[in-house]
Amino acid sequence: MNPLALLLTLSSVMFALGLLAVLTRRNAILILVGIELMLNAANINFIAFWRYGPPDLEMAGPIFVLFSIAIAAAEAAVGLAIILMVFRLRRTTDLNQLDSLHG
Amino acid sequence: MASLLILSPLVLLAALGAVWMARPVHAALLLALALALNAVLYLAMGADFIGLVQFAVYVGAVAVLIVFSLLITRQSDETEEIARRPKALVPGLLCTLPVLAVLLITASKVPAASDEAPALPLKKLGEILFTTHAPAVLAVAVLLTAVLIGAALFARETKPNDP
Repeated sequence: MNPLALLLTLSSVMFALGLLAVLTRRNAILILVGIELMLNAANINFIAFWRYGPPDLEMAGPIFVLFSIAIAAAEAAVGLAIILMVFRLRRTTDLNQLDSLHG
Repeated sequence: MASLLILSPLVLLAALGAVWMARPVHAALLLALALALNAVLYLAMGADFIGLVQFAVYVGAVAVLIVFSLLITRQSDETEEIARRPKALVPGLLCTLPVLAVLLITASKVPAASDEAPALPLKKLGEILFTTHAPAVLAVAVLLTAVLIGAALFARETKPNDP
């Protein structure tokens, strides 16, 4: 099998799993887990195209992944800080119970 | 190629566990496993530096942060059952499966892979990063500073009658 196709299939399934977690989980932290999975799926694509795609002298794939990892870490830190603040105010991280903006 | 064939199912199994596990802590630990296997996958593809960064940042920082947050926000009723909630699972799958189908169709159409392994010399990576991409590095630095201040502000203990 074509290794590039194998890696793209892997990242597709991983992205779908992350999306499923985001759509079905109720705990806000576990939704962040799904987002991390989706970000990682995208990173696999970058590295796969760098390794098996057409030759790329500027190393765009790895550099994009480096920035992506930095931004994912920032996103996780802010997300978890917000969740902790919400937990301190409402004593829950269940998104179904955080409905004070519900009309 | 053989290493990819072995690693890919393992990554997927760990990711599936992270999505499916009822207990949040189990899900978070399986996420850490999936991210670590992902780093091994990068190492197997020859992207050594990226694999190590993935280990340090994702496994070392993000996964640990998630586990700590789960421990802090622990509740008495802590299982979260997807399997027993078809009400959420059915619309979730209805949205996910078309996306997966489109992605898989696209993935099956890629041209044949080139066999020559590109090198990832650290010196050149650093040169490109700090010359061509210097503005982006500065932007990320500003972003991380803002995140540091913002996270500290959010996580700060506030008194009940503080505005």
